[in-house]
Amino acid sequence: MLSKSQARAFFLGGTFLFGAIFVFLTIDTLRQNDTRTNAQNLTEDVLKGKEIWEKNNCMGCHTLLGEGAYYAPDLTKVVERRGVSWIDVFLDDPQAMFPGERKMVKYNFTKEEKGQVIAFLDWVGKIDANGWPPKPNIPIGSITTAAPPQSTANVVKVSQPEKFSQLCVACHAVGSKGGNVGPALDHVGSKFDVDYLNRWLIDPQVIKPGTNMPKLPLSDTERKDIVTYLSALK
Amino acid sequence: MRFQSQKVAYWFFATCMLLLSLQIVYGFIMGFARIGFDGLHDYIPFNTARATHTNLLVVWLLTGFMGAAYYIIPEESDRELYSVKLAYIQLISWVVVGVIAIIGFHFNWWEGRKFLEIPRPLDYLVVVNVLTFLFNIAMTIWEAKKRSTTQLVLFFGLLCAALLYLPGMIYFDNQTLDSYFRWWVVHLWVEGVWELIMGGILAFLLIKLTGVDREVIEKWLYVVVGLTFLSGILGTGHHYYWIGTPKYWLMVGGIFSALEPLAFLGMAIWALNMYRKKGKDHPNKIALYWTLGSAMMSFIGAGFLGFAHTWPSVNQWTHGTLITAMHGHLAFWGAYAMLVLAVISYAMPNMTGRKLFTGMSGYLAFWASNIGMVGMTGALAVAGITQVYLERKLGMDFLVVQKEIVFHFIGMLLAATLFTIGITYFIVDFIRHGLPSNEAVGKNVGDID
Repeated sequence: MLSKSQARAFFLGGTFLFGAIFVFLTIDTLRQNDTRTNAQNLTEDVLKGKEIWEKNNCMGCHTLLGEGAYYAPDLTKVVERRGVSWIDVFLDDPQAMFPGERKMVKYNFTKEEKGQVIAFLDWVGKIDANGWPPKPNIPIGSITTAAPPQSTANVVKVSQPEKFSQLCVACHAVGSKGGNVGPALDHVGSKFDVDYLNRWLIDPQVIKPGTNMPKLPLSDTERKDIVTYLSALK
Repeated sequence: MRFQSQKVAYWFFATCMLLLSLQIVYGFIMGFARIGFDGLHDYIPFNTARATHTNLLVVWLLTGFMGAAYYIIPEESDRELYSVKLAYIQLISWVVVGVIAIIGFHFNWWEGRKFLEIPRPLDYLVVVNVLTFLFNIAMTIWEAKKRSTTQLVLFFGLLCAALLYLPGMIYFDNQTLDSYFRWWVVHLWVEGVWELIMGGILAFLLIKLTGVDREVIEKWLYVVVGLTFLSGILGTGHHYYWIGTPKYWLMVGGIFSALEPLAFLGMAIWALNMYRKKGKDHPNKIALYWTLGSAMMSFIGAGFLGFAHTWPSVNQWTHGTLITAMHGHLAFWGAYAMLVLAVISYAMPNMTGRKLFTGMSGYLAFWASNIGMVGMTGALAVAGITQVYLERKLGMDFLVVQKEIVFHFIGMLLAATLFTIGITYFIVDFIRHGLPSNEAVGKNVGDID
């Protein structure tokens, strides 16, 4: 049977051996770190963005590289997923973009600060994280006997404006693609005329007080393009 | 209690009770926010509640460890504490730093690094404080007539916990490195040196409560803490899978994490075996319940539930979901919270001379809080598994999935209510014991040694 001094030797020996291996692996990890994290892209903006991220304890709700508080979405690939313009609009008034949903603090970032946060998140998204997060691997079709949803939108001659795919699809779906916060827009062109759609986009509250639709920062050209596109959805 | 100076532990325990109550309040704020009742959003947004909830946990457990050390070390050293005055100064400054930190969180003053949110200037104060504590304990041991393994393991654990706080204070502009060294604190604490502290406290309680020969208990203490370090040091790797570190961490972290339950299994078998070998019955059954309960629940919560999602091919799906919150709750409860409650249950009758352990309320406290915590863990487990499948495997939107699991959070809140009833019983008993009394000095209630 094990004696007390043997037990002590097991404790001290094991601690020393595995501690040494840990230090060795740490040194090797540090050696590879610059390449794996694209350290050359750590610009002034990225570092400022990290400061803003920490100063406001964003990880107290969100997760980043899977670490955080699980109350709000993981933001590792958010720039890839949502795009810069969407995040830019979102940060101005988070609750307007997800009305009636889980609340996010309105931080009143300046244009510059928003850019820094986005630069930081963009840099994080490009870290070599051993393939994480993995892509969903259960196709919806395999667990449902119902036919996959058919696209109900007619073939549209007008192509989707860039702003539409950056902002609107976060809440609205066209041809089953997009969010479900707002109504699907498949036949919106047959319901409303150009003038109405235009006025709606300028200020939704004027047309329908209390609506959840936010007032989006669109230039005249961008608005015109979107209205043209929407009118073609019949 | 044998020595007058052990009385100082009472004030640490009382602080524990206060901080634990506050932690529960913030837990409820978060629970209600998750089911859509976030009326406090403008005053206490989720990130504030979250930082307060987890930091209070760390602070009350550390306060409990300090109290336990102030109680155990004089008795193990067979002499009075080196300086009672220093201990009181240390407690007061500790509480002041804690209160400033918690208030700061409500005014957006923090470091924003998970679990290490305390702002940097306060970090330095924490270091000074802990050094004061260690100095007091070290001097007590240094001037003691005898050395015991329990005493040294406990001291070594506390010392390493203090040293390992330092890597968390280095600033990295690279998120990967920031995260890498943050885990040196967080993981190497809870899955490393805190287990040393746990082992030391457990050994002390087992010696007192079972009366098994000290040599036997301490030999197994070495084996248990040996297993902890053997698996736990490289087990840190399970935090390194997806943060931008080399791929070999998947293998290293996977293998050593799989070994981690062994340390907790060892702890449980050790405690149960020592209980089986007991010479006669100790009258303080409640303390025994918490002691053995801690050894067993830590195996389930920290060992088994940790093991359930640290294998890389599982972890890639569960990483960053409520599965982690599920494991975290039972792990901290079983391993550390129950242990601190065990020390308090054991020490209170000795310090005050009141034998309240004969009543019913102690058992109610034990069972209500344990069933409540298991219920909370179960609710989080179902929510977590649902989240993994809907969000990760099927690719549904985060907020859509969160709506699907609201029901489980109602369940969690109900279980939390039961838990709170249990803790309330515990605190009421604590208050009923009254203050430590000089008449209790030199007498221990029913110790077998």
